[in-house]
Amino acid sequence: MGDWSVAVGIYEGRNVPAGPGMNNARRVGVGPRHPIVRWVYHHRQAAADSLHKLVFEPISTLLTWMVLGIALALPATLLVLLSNVLALADTIDVPARFSLFLNELTTLEQASDIARRMEQRVDIAQVSVLDRVTALADFGVQTGLESLIESLDANPLPHTLLVEPAAHINASRMDELADALTNTPGVANVIFDTQWLARFETSLLLLQRLVIGLGLMMVIGAILILGNTLRLAIEARRAEIVVIKLIGGGDAFVRRPFLYMGLWCGVGGGALAIGLVIIFLSLLASPAATLLALYNSDWQLQGLSFIAALQLALVGGSLGLLSAWQATTIHLRRVEPK
Amino acid sequence: MIVFDRVGKRFDNHDAIRDISLTIDSGEMVFLTGHSGAGKSTFLRLLMLLERPTSGCLMVNHRDTSRVKRRAIGTYRRDFGIVFQDHQLLFDRTVFDNVALPLHIAGFEMRDVNRRVRAALDKVGLLQRERANPAVLSGGEQQRVGIARAVVARPKILIADEPTGNLDPQLSAEIMSLFEAFNQVGVMVVIASHDLALISRLRHRIITLNNGRLVGGGGHL
Ligand SMILES: Nc1ncnc2c1ncn2[C@@H]1O[C@H](COP(=O)(O)OP(=O)(O)OP(=O)(O)O)[C@@H](O)[C@H]1O
Ligand SMILES: [Mg+2]
Repeated sequence: MGDWSVAVGIYEGRNVPAGPGMNNARRVGVGPRHPIVRWVYHHRQAAADSLHKLVFEPISTLLTWMVLGIALALPATLLVLLSNVLALADTIDVPARFSLFLNELTTLEQASDIARRMEQRVDIAQVSVLDRVTALADFGVQTGLESLIESLDANPLPHTLLVEPAAHINASRMDELADALTNTPGVANVIFDTQWLARFETSLLLLQRLVIGLGLMMVIGAILILGNTLRLAIEARRAEIVVIKLIGGGDAFVRRPFLYMGLWCGVGGGALAIGLVIIFLSLLASPAATLLALYNSDWQLQGLSFIAALQLALVGGSLGLLSAWQATTIHLRRVEPK
Repeated sequence: MIVFDRVGKRFDNHDAIRDISLTIDSGEMVFLTGHSGAGKSTFLRLLMLLERPTSGCLMVNHRDTSRVKRRAIGTYRRDFGIVFQDHQLLFDRTVFDNVALPLHIAGFEMRDVNRRVRAALDKVGLLQRERANPAVLSGGEQQRVGIARAVVARPKILIADEPTGNLDPQLSAEIMSLFEAFNQVGVMVVIASHDLALISRLRHRIITLNNGRLVGGGGHL
């Protein structure tokens, strides 16, 4: 066994009585770092350490990343698709046109009068008059029932006004306009399908809620799964945690590597999710383009933007950190020296 | 300085420590003895804040330990070096890394860590085994690794619970003189041991407990 001088050496630098062999040339170190430097050092250490541990268990790390990646990729893909649908919906010109059937007794001159007055309104772009003779002929041509129409004694159609609302009028303004038109003297009947617009908007809202709901469920699932992974990691390092606590490692010191582990798992999951979303969308792009072409649209599916990809990685990281926070809060307290 | 002022510790309906008042000065070396179940370990665990007194007041370095909050326990324990009877070494790392652990917690520079760990291992005669896994060492060697870890960060107070529990007399005597060496440089040393033959040969105060009561060696208060 060594001699006393080394014991003195260990304690050198402290204000202790000089023992045998005390020798200033054998200073052992300069003492701990400044608290802030130490804090940074501990963070770097914990970050590197937990990354190391993950890399050295590639299979289980990859599995965790996959689980998180899939849990994030599904809602992310749906969100991208949703934003595509919303953008596409914006480009659709609502072919809104009111057909106003006038009273049977209204003459063509009176019809033109009404039309001129209507055109003054700000929410109306244009009004054209369709006289009853032309209307009936058109109807015959469109339906192929010319012979039937020729056999009619009298023209059953009244004069008709075709009202084109101003562009970019929303559903409620459209309803107002419909009311105003219905109450115009001389108008017998207004035909306009405002309902389809409302239905379309409601469907979008429903879709939006569905995506958000699904996303939330997947995200909560991801947090729980990662929390469980961390619980197992804590369990596996129980002995180490106990010793560290015994020799002066505080709660924060013990917790840090697990927080970083959560962060790395989350960021890895986020990165994997980015890859999955890109693959997913590229698989959908060509059939979607074909489908839209059938509807005479040259819309191209918009992929995951760079910013959105970054956000996905960020969301992954925050989720990881969040579940590590909750897991360590719950489980670390239970690991105490006996 | 450690001051027990009418300290009691009660578990459920059993008093492990009863109404103990005593003082241990800085720089002093004391032994703690008594029959099995007398309360020696509980006494040391109170010092480490592994247990809290159920009555009385425990002062360490003029600080009321009941004021030490949970968050501050880590910092508080860094003033102590502890040697455990069951060593409490980690078998997933080398001897060197085991001894370095308190320095990492305290945030020492790497260069500093290397020198201090080597000095501590040299002191306990295990410098050649620094790369070994502690699991392959003998009981006595493991105990010495534990001692190296306890002193490496230069604690002001060294605590040991049965440090010679299952060692042969020769090794036990060597370990005790090691503790005396640290005491020589001003470290307070508190050792629980029931090896009366060994500790009475060393000329230090012996605190005797019986059923949780102080029956001998109580200091001035
Ligand atoms: N956590 C606990 N819960 C209940 N009783 C306890 C607890 N810890 C200790 N005791 C009791 O307190 C008494 C003192 O125990 P302690 O471990 O301090 O004795 P000791 O002097 O260290 O004995 P030994 O020499 O066998 O190690 C014992 O009767 C023990 O059963
Ligand atoms: Mg004991």
